[in-house]
Amino acid sequence: MAAVWVQLSRLEARLLRADPDAVPGNAALMGFALGRGEAQFETHCAACHGRRGQGDPVRGVPALNDSDWLYGTGLVSDIEQVIKYGIRSYHPKAWNLAIMPAYATPEPSARDARIPALSPGNVRDLVEFLVQAQGRSADGAAAARGAELFAGAPGCYDCHATDGKGDSAIGAPNLTDRITLYGDGSRESLSMSISYGRHGMCPAWVGRINPAGIREAAVFVYSLSHGPGPAAPAAPGAGQAWR
Amino acid sequence: MSDIGQANSRRSFVFMGCGAVVGLMMAGYSLFTARGTSTLSVPPEDVAMVNQQPISRSDYLLQLQALYGVDLQHATAAQRRKVLDDMIREELFVQRGKELDVASTDPDVRAAMVNSVEMEIAADAITSQPAEAQLRGYFALHRARYASEGIMTLRDYVFPPGESKAAAEAAGALEKMPPNAALLSRLHGSDSGKVADEEFYFAVRIHLGEPLFEAARNLPDGGVSGPIVHADAIHVLYMFKNQKPVPFDFDAARDRVLTDYRNDAIGRLRTGDEAFLRKRANVLIADDVR
Repeated sequence: MAAVWVQLSRLEARLLRADPDAVPGNAALMGFALGRGEAQFETHCAACHGRRGQGDPVRGVPALNDSDWLYGTGLVSDIEQVIKYGIRSYHPKAWNLAIMPAYATPEPSARDARIPALSPGNVRDLVEFLVQAQGRSADGAAAARGAELFAGAPGCYDCHATDGKGDSAIGAPNLTDRITLYGDGSRESLSMSISYGRHGMCPAWVGRINPAGIREAAVFVYSLSHGPGPAAPAAPGAGQAWR
Repeated sequence: MSDIGQANSRRSFVFMGCGAVVGLMMAGYSLFTARGTSTLSVPPEDVAMVNQQPISRSDYLLQLQALYGVDLQHATAAQRRKVLDDMIREELFVQRGKELDVASTDPDVRAAMVNSVEMEIAADAITSQPAEAQLRGYFALHRARYASEGIMTLRDYVFPPGESKAAAEAAGALEKMPPNAALLSRLHGSDSGKVADEEFYFAVRIHLGEPLFEAARNLPDGGVSGPIVHADAIHVLYMFKNQKPVPFDFDAARDRVLTDYRNDAIGRLRTGDEAFLRKRANVLIADDVR
């Protein structure tokens, strides 16, 4: 028992000292981290993201099992930062920058008073612009007006980029693809997002999960979209959430 | 083979020895790794210990990425050294700042500390995911909050002060026919231009002011207000279309319900924490400012 414990401690230390982005290439560390990471994921993350990281567009919970990364580029280090410090989690190191304004309210953004409220017609024009940008059939004249708004005072371009493809450095989603974070991509759900804003949260787990647990969970989340990596030998204690 | 049920002093001695060794190992491990204890080794999750204060490995990697745009594998020795030196320097200065009690004199440090404590409380509050039933209960309690913003398309016609008869005549005429330029011109009325096309309720409230908005909000499609006398003019409102706020169902409102639920939880926690801090504090207040 003592030998197993010592071996687990050594593997855990190796996992923590490794460059996080190099872990997927290391069969031994992947084998060690995956089972334990799954247990961490089930305890702390699955309640929102689902057991297989499938997400939930009704609740605006992103899927973690595809290659569309809202924050960062899907590296283990990016995922680890999110688990550690969260999204709009009130932790000073969290990803806190992008908050979708609520344009159908008198003060769309609490952070930037220069962002103007929009009229119902403006919202409809923006929706048509987005629908057109996704390659769907749209009202051309309204979409043209929407394009001007997108690039103008409401400041949509500032987060979502001038081409609408988003910016994963701040968590602004790509608006030109068919992957929707909130709702089903219908005009109604787009209108809801523009009118009433979005600002989902992910808690900061630093201090609540130990560093190894965070690394293991990050490796597990990585595996949801990239697969389990190199063939991994079974590690002693793998799959046990004994912390 | 000896009988397991039979007393065996040698076996007892071996078991006792094993137990003692395991106990000593556990005690030793705990002694040198527990938080707050002095240790000569750097925990694997950290890159350095400065007076027993850890410098996190992931913060180090993040700093490498932020400063040089490289990960650990591609960072040069000089880059690694520079980042580590900077982080150690920062930690040393933070520790010195604590010794000097800079928080007692520097308003920026004080503000940052207050903000940090508030954020820590908020971070605690959002870690727990409320159950679906709790959210639905909250939604039911605060249902009035969750509705679409109403939309109206109306015109605000103004008549010169003292022209109340003309305004009343216009209101009567508008009940029978839609607005037209000839009618308004004949009665010396004009469009105030304060509202245009369709607007959200909040925008109409801002553009027309509270009294006129209140007069407008319940007008049906095609409805006309009576003359409303203001200091600047007499107003007559004509409603083309009034789309009243529509209550959201739970699914549509869920995102906002969760945010509000958490904000309320954060508020309660902050209040509770402040009450606790006040309760345990020894606060003396000068007689003249009580």
